[in-house]
Amino acid sequence: MSDTPGQGPVKSIMPKWVRGPQDFVGGIALMAVALFAFWASSDLQGMHGFSFGAGTAPRMFAGLLLGLGFAIMLVGLIADGAHLQTYAWRGPLFVSLAIVSFAITIRPLGLVISAFASFLISALGTPETRWRETIIVGICLTIGCSLLFPYALGLPMQLFPRFLVQ
Amino acid sequence: MVDLFSNLALGFGVALTPINLLLCLIGALVGTLVGVLPGIGTIATVAMLLPITFGLPPVGALIMLAGIYYGAQYGGSTTSILVNIPGEATSVVTTLDGFQMAKQGRAGPALAIAAIGSFFAGCVATVLIAVLGAPLTKLALAFGPAEYFSLMVLGLIFATVLAKGSILKAIAMIVLGLLLSMVGSDIETGASRMAFNVPELADGLGFATVAMGVFGFAEIIRNLDAGAEMDRDLVQQKITGLMPTKKDLKDSFPAIVRGTILGSILGILPGGGAVIASFAAYTFEKKIAKDPSRFGRGAIEGVAAPESANNAAAQTSFIPLLTLGIPPNAVMALMVGAMTIHGIVPGPQVMQKQPELVWGMIASMWIGNLMLIVINLPLVGIWVRLLRVPYRLMFPSIVIFCAIGIYSINNAPVDVVLAGAFGLLGYWLIKHDFEPAPLLLGMVLGPLMEENLRRALLISRGDWTVFLTRPLSAVLMAMAAFLLVLAVLPSLRRKRDEVFVESET
Repeated sequence: MSDTPGQGPVKSIMPKWVRGPQDFVGGIALMAVALFAFWASSDLQGMHGFSFGAGTAPRMFAGLLLGLGFAIMLVGLIADGAHLQTYAWRGPLFVSLAIVSFAITIRPLGLVISAFASFLISALGTPETRWRETIIVGICLTIGCSLLFPYALGLPMQLFPRFLVQ
Repeated sequence: MVDLFSNLALGFGVALTPINLLLCLIGALVGTLVGVLPGIGTIATVAMLLPITFGLPPVGALIMLAGIYYGAQYGGSTTSILVNIPGEATSVVTTLDGFQMAKQGRAGPALAIAAIGSFFAGCVATVLIAVLGAPLTKLALAFGPAEYFSLMVLGLIFATVLAKGSILKAIAMIVLGLLLSMVGSDIETGASRMAFNVPELADGLGFATVAMGVFGFAEIIRNLDAGAEMDRDLVQQKITGLMPTKKDLKDSFPAIVRGTILGSILGILPGGGAVIASFAAYTFEKKIAKDPSRFGRGAIEGVAAPESANNAAAQTSFIPLLTLGIPPNAVMALMVGAMTIHGIVPGPQVMQKQPELVWGMIASMWIGNLMLIVINLPLVGIWVRLLRVPYRLMFPSIVIFCAIGIYSINNAPVDVVLAGAFGLLGYWLIKHDFEPAPLLLGMVLGPLMEENLRRALLISRGDWTVFLTRPLSAVLMAMAAFLLVLAVLPSLRRKRDEVFVESET
């Protein structure tokens, strides 16, 4: 990650007539979300008489978002604005992986294994990680969470893998 | 007047029972502890700790929640000051001067002033709620669906006008939030909307899930970018003198008073009153200061005013909740959730039917604030030390803690994945200079707005002019339009941008 200093402008991949790439892309993305919402709510009933159907409000808000997205895109076209920022890949990737692995393993494997494994995965998110201390802290945190959530807070949560408990 | 005292006496009678005092103390402590962890702000803290209160009686649960709320808010300003990570939108401005003070080794005084200011504001606001609560409940009777809708529009416009950056983008974020709030079952027909047959989406996107994603996970991912590294290291160097000096107190006292007044007034408005209040208080302080250039470089007034204002506003924002039943901000929305679980429907009736609950909670706010100042002034040193833990160890811990917290709300792994997805969305939003706070507000108000819009139009038989022909509604709409026009005018825009200049460096 040291090679991607987060804030610096990227060499523009945008055509020259886009003067504010950040807004331009942001606006287009919002328009895409709005169009997606139109599609997703297309099966819902619209207005009948003067009363709203289930689909009226979602389509109304989607319409508004479409307009606003278009306006933001226009601003990006006509006014000089910020460049696109670089995205780091390492942090987002490993943090997401840790979250997904937690979600997958919490049910079958229980809190102890799941939390510890996810801790180690998310620690990969930065090159600064020193493994010895990370493992020690991970163990302490796992023990702490195992005591805090199921016992102190009384939440129903399985601690150990299912096949060991049975 | 007699009513006022008997009400407050009733409240303190409830709040001062040993068990409720203990719950208040635990709430304030746990709230601070969790709120201090960077990346977990007020909203996430309250959301995470909500399950603890399920087993308690309603009054105790609300008192503990209020304690968690104040604790978390205080904890949130602690991270603003120490690591430049605002836990919530309300403490964004605190970072401007608070973090600068911390860099200069004056984290202690900044934290102490934040606590003292909050306490003072809390005292004033508690009295104000007691005075205004009952008369405003009567006003609420004049509100029909059209007025509710207009009031929410006004609140949302208010929130965008005083939000950071482009107004167009802030409005877009609100609308995106409104759109997200549409996911789930339709209130009237029960039809499943945009849920793609995912059973976990049938109830809508969990508010806590989205909040934890766009504030918690997104912040963590962003902080992992190399750029943020510098600032974090700097604060870990020297922290001396935990107590504010006499001069600090003298400088900040007028700012605290002004912040409290401004906050109390703005907090009554629905739509993120506390956020607006802290921004407004900061702008105001900067405007009347003899030397405005000190702001953004560690001026103690820049911490005192917004912190008092947001606390005053946070408390007076209970007024719309208790009188109109509208949650004016994200945390209040969680409070509504907690009340509903205990079978209480917030609104005008609560004050008449369950006075001990309302007044007990109001009294406990004051006690909670007192406890915070007592607990936290001596503990400031510990919080500071907690934050010296290097980020490479801190962030995986927060990731796991958040993941467990989200999972524990519904025992649903899908929620955890959703929060992760919203984390990536939040990262993208940050990269494109979109503010996540208006999005959250839109999400909270979305269902309420839709319901009232539908009802208003049903009553008027489909006539859209109803919002302009009913006098009260027309006034609210006119105010909203006026604000919007004012905000787009170039002269005000320039001033508005000035406030945020320092935050960019």
